Amino acid sequence: MEGNFFEALKLLGVGLSTVFVVLLLIIAFGNLLIKAVNRFAPEEEKPVKAVADNTPLAIEPGVQQAIDLAVQQLTGGKGRAVKIQRL
Amino acid sequence: MNEVSIFEKIYDMTALGALIDQPQFLIMYALAFLLLYLGIKKGYEPLLLIPIAFGVLIANFPGGDMGVVSPDGQGMVPVNGEMKNIYEMSLPEIAHDLGIMNFLYYALIKSGLLPPIIFMGVGALTDFGPMLRNLKLAIFGAGAQFGIFAVLLVACNFFDMKEAASLAIIGGADGPTAIFTTIKLAPHMLGPIAIAAYSYMALVPVIVPLVVKLTCSKKELMINMKEQDKLYPSKTEFKNMSALKIIFPIATTTVVAIIVPSAVPLVGMLMFGNLIKEVGSSTSRIFDAASNAIMNSATIFLGLCVGATMTVDAFLNWQTIGIVAGGFLAFGFSIFGGIMLAKIYNLFSKKKVNPLIGATGLSAVPMASRVANDIALKYDPRNHVLNYCMSSNVSGVIGSAVAAGILIAFLG
Repeated sequence: MEGNFFEALKLLGVGLSTVFVVLLLIIAFGNLLIKAVNRFAPEEEKPVKAVADNTPLAIEPGVQQAIDLAVQQLTGGKGRAVKIQRL
Repeated sequence: MNEVSIFEKIYDMTALGALIDQPQFLIMYALAFLLLYLGIKKGYEPLLLIPIAFGVLIANFPGGDMGVVSPDGQGMVPVNGEMKNIYEMSLPEIAHDLGIMNFLYYALIKSGLLPPIIFMGVGALTDFGPMLRNLKLAIFGAGAQFGIFAVLLVACNFFDMKEAASLAIIGGADGPTAIFTTIKLAPHMLGPIAIAAYSYMALVPVIVPLVVKLTCSKKELMINMKEQDKLYPSKTEFKNMSALKIIFPIATTTVVAIIVPSAVPLVGMLMFGNLIKEVGSSTSRIFDAASNAIMNSATIFLGLCVGATMTVDAFLNWQTIGIVAGGFLAFGFSIFGGIMLAKIYNLFSKKKVNPLIGATGLSAVPMASRVANDIALKYDPRNHVLNYCMSSNVSGVIGSAVAAGILIAFLG
């Protein structure tokens, strides 16, 4: 049993140190990889796509009045234009 | 044939006679029902506890031939009244003479096949991104292996070295690693060790807060990682994370394979699973197979076979109580080891680390991280530590696999 204890003690030292060494190596290699990838394979910047502008445009008062009149005429006075958008 | 002999034959056909002769079977049924309850009703690791529990149940019906036989030191098992060396029997012979569960056990478990297969699936479901973003924190995955080696020191006084190492690996908080190590070192202890490992993993929400409460102050638990990042910003920038994630599993496998080759079955398969995930659409079919069909099938057979090793003779003994107690100690010491490493780190570093990140250095991904995050939020509702914990948590998987490799290399 005493022999077992010393073997376990040896394993505690060797085992924990090895786990530390392996993870430290992984951290070191990881850092190297990050630098290498940044240097040799940086991701190409994707061109930003122009996004269609859906914000309502300012409509001239005369045009808006004409549209309102047309809608009123078409719907017999029941409908009204809520949103006017240039396509 | 008279009526009495017909009834005698029917009685002999049933398991009733054997159950009356050996009422210990009832304890095994109670255990199986308890595990089924915990898995189904309480939701404790249901994917594994339910197959294990059902394996326990079907293995303990006398005459059912579904229990895995335990060979003696020379590999001898009783077969139809004579002793045979099971390692000299072919698989069809095992299936014919000892039943299909022994066939499955010797083909899939004793051969060491299933734990690495499950590791492949785990790798396919793991994201190393948080670890790469907080690479320094990965070191806490080493501190949390302390429990494995600390309990080995205690357990070697009660068990032989191989058995003690199999018990101690429970501290790695990784089911497949515990099973793989036990298969290699002490296969006769597989059932209780697997049960203890998965039970304690299911109890992470209880054990982690308990150890944290005993070892950490409120001030330490309030260390806000994001504020630390603002105070001491990292100089590392990531220009191509997807390429990095592809190269990382290849590099890690190479490093581990050179230092601890005996850990390759686990780490290699873990990293292979991760690689096919990260490569993307060109490997999506095998990624899907690894993370779903193969892993799920492996989980079913692993659970059933492990459960079937828990026969009356193999389970109801003092050794099992030792495993349950030792496993708890190993688990607790691992969390303690991670916390202590974080505290030591804080002594020397300007940029402080919340000790919860040390506590999650044991595997049990991602439950340990979620539990740690909940604890941090309790002390400071703005302190989200999940991503930081995932770094040490994922490195803990590698750490425990390396620890297993060391134990197998030294004692196997």
